[in-house]
Amino acid sequence: MKRANYIFLLLIAGLAAALAVAVSVGSESVSVFSPDEQGRAILLDIRIPRVLLGACVGASLALAGASLQALLRNPLAEPYLLGVSNGAALGTLLAFVLLGDVAGARPVMAFAGAAIATIAVYQMARSKAGMNVERLVLSGVIVTTFLSSVIVLLTSLLDAARLRGYTFWLLGDLSQATYNGFYLTLAAAVAGTILLTSQARALNLMMIGERDAFDHGVEIGRVRIIVFGMASVLVGTSVAASGSVGYVGLIVPHIVRLVVGSDNRLVVPMSAFAGAIFVVLADTVARTAIAPRELPVGAITALIGAPLFIFLLRRS
Amino acid sequence: MRIPHDRVTVFRPRVPIKSDLRNSRMPSVFRVKARQATQGDIERPVFLVRDICAERKSRAFFDLGCSNWDLGLNEMRSRFFTISVLTALIVLLGSMLVACGRQVAELPAVEMRVVKDDLGREVRLPVKVTRAVSLAPSITEMVFAAGAGDRLVGVTSYCDFPAAAKNVQKVGDTQSPNIEAIIAVRPEVILVSTASQLEAFASALEGQSAAVVVLDIRGLGDVADRLRRLGQIFGSGERAELAAIDFENRVAAVERRQKPERPVRVLLQISEADLFTIGRDSFITELIDRAGGRSVTADIPGGYPKLSKETALVLDPEVIILSDSPDNLKPNDALKNSAAVRSGRVYRVNADILSRPGPRLAEALEQLATLFRKEPTGN
Repeated sequence: MKRANYIFLLLIAGLAAALAVAVSVGSESVSVFSPDEQGRAILLDIRIPRVLLGACVGASLALAGASLQALLRNPLAEPYLLGVSNGAALGTLLAFVLLGDVAGARPVMAFAGAAIATIAVYQMARSKAGMNVERLVLSGVIVTTFLSSVIVLLTSLLDAARLRGYTFWLLGDLSQATYNGFYLTLAAAVAGTILLTSQARALNLMMIGERDAFDHGVEIGRVRIIVFGMASVLVGTSVAASGSVGYVGLIVPHIVRLVVGSDNRLVVPMSAFAGAIFVVLADTVARTAIAPRELPVGAITALIGAPLFIFLLRRS
Repeated sequence: MRIPHDRVTVFRPRVPIKSDLRNSRMPSVFRVKARQATQGDIERPVFLVRDICAERKSRAFFDLGCSNWDLGLNEMRSRFFTISVLTALIVLLGSMLVACGRQVAELPAVEMRVVKDDLGREVRLPVKVTRAVSLAPSITEMVFAAGAGDRLVGVTSYCDFPAAAKNVQKVGDTQSPNIEAIIAVRPEVILVSTASQLEAFASALEGQSAAVVVLDIRGLGDVADRLRRLGQIFGSGERAELAAIDFENRVAAVERRQKPERPVRVLLQISEADLFTIGRDSFITELIDRAGGRSVTADIPGGYPKLSKETALVLDPEVIILSDSPDNLKPNDALKNSAAVRSGRVYRVNADILSRPGPRLAEALEQLATLFRKEPTGN
């Protein structure tokens, strides 16, 4: 446990460093310690909420990925690949089309979309013989592509001007960060870390096998509801705030497992920190790479995530 | 002068025989040696003209200073008859198939001419163009302004100006025109703009009987010229010339009124939440220049970049132009303390006249010039 403590400290220090770097660079150079009026506006109104939101979104997605992988005993389980993100995206779009700017409508609808997509994938993947890897991944692909086509249909029906913003947003984009979005994702991320870590022991047992877990007194149904529900909340809030940032939930827990092994009591909370670091740094690249223009952060995470994923796949 | 048959020898054609069948009007050259008692042997080219409609009666005429049609026919027949009949059959069958598919028999030979388009391609057009399709709203406006709106038989679903354009058959939108719908309206000319990235579709349409003309209008300076070109294409030169002169006069009038002042610093906001704006390559940057302003994003590479909010805040524009659209009703939050917002110099301009490189750019220029001169109203 000693080593784990060091890693925790390292992750916290890493997150602090990543936040510091992210706040101090941007498309405009601002003195962080003695900003003028304009610099203060840039830092407080634009840069800091965006960096903080990025951290929470990263933590949420990594938490959702880590817990889903454990629950489904499937290394490929990831909100983006399972269609959960797309469900949330569709929910957000529907909220926008049907309800307009009603406060709170988007996160709620995003949560509903994520939850429906999760349940759909889970039901499709389950068979009498149990659930295997292939079925789950296939169901995820089917739900993802189906939802993508619905989204494309919907954006085609919206007028062109509205569509423009959403194509960027669908790729995962933090530029519309507000403090309200940050508070909501922060609440979800904190709740998720606590709740999912509390289920970590049960998840460990379930990774051995559901029957073994049952024999050890794990209430499988309850764990399942908690993990699916919490993952939907996490994905819903982060997608509503920033679109579907891909690959975070896949890459981050895998890297954490490479370092600390597969004990979920460590993997789940550490994934939250590592996910936050990953997205904060990726967004820093997105903000500065072609400044003063901007890239969507999802493009950066996918750019790093996809090759890293192939590398991990070949190693294991 | 008449040369007896037995004195003429026909040699192999220099041009493969197929090529003259592919296009009935292109003669293929044969060389004929005529033995003449008086001048010795002379060699002259012979033109073999085949009429696709009357293929079997392939005839040759002979340029030896005489006009004896039958000359050398016997020998020619012996050499080429079989080939001719076979190729004629193939061509006939082929053209029947094509005719079935297309329902446009080119039998009444239309007089053609060659026009150069904006990609430097030479395009063959009928002398009198009666059916045209426009695949961009800006081009539709141009065609109407050039006095040929009545020839349009197909436009995109975005083409809503002038009002008459709304009644023209829609053939898809700019990004994804419906090729079948285009063929169904039997156009002679399809006008595409490179601006709407239609080169990809141009190649898909190339195989059709219609000519594809690329009309690439890069900004204010191109409008008058392209109006005149459209006048040539449609044979409505006079009205096109009037429209072109009117356009030039309006632009010149705006520039005459310009005072040699420091240009105002302008930010053009395309969408609010996602802060899209204009970059170096957008023609609107030039438009703002000509109207007496200076786009604060003029140095950013690209046409329509997404601007960092931090940069927007630092750029501190004196005037903000919102291109009118439902997602662009007010300036982005990052601009709330800019000089423009504080002095109330935020204006909405019709997005269509701004964004379509067509005849209404003159209107956009006039509006911008007026707005740039307007005194600050706010606190």
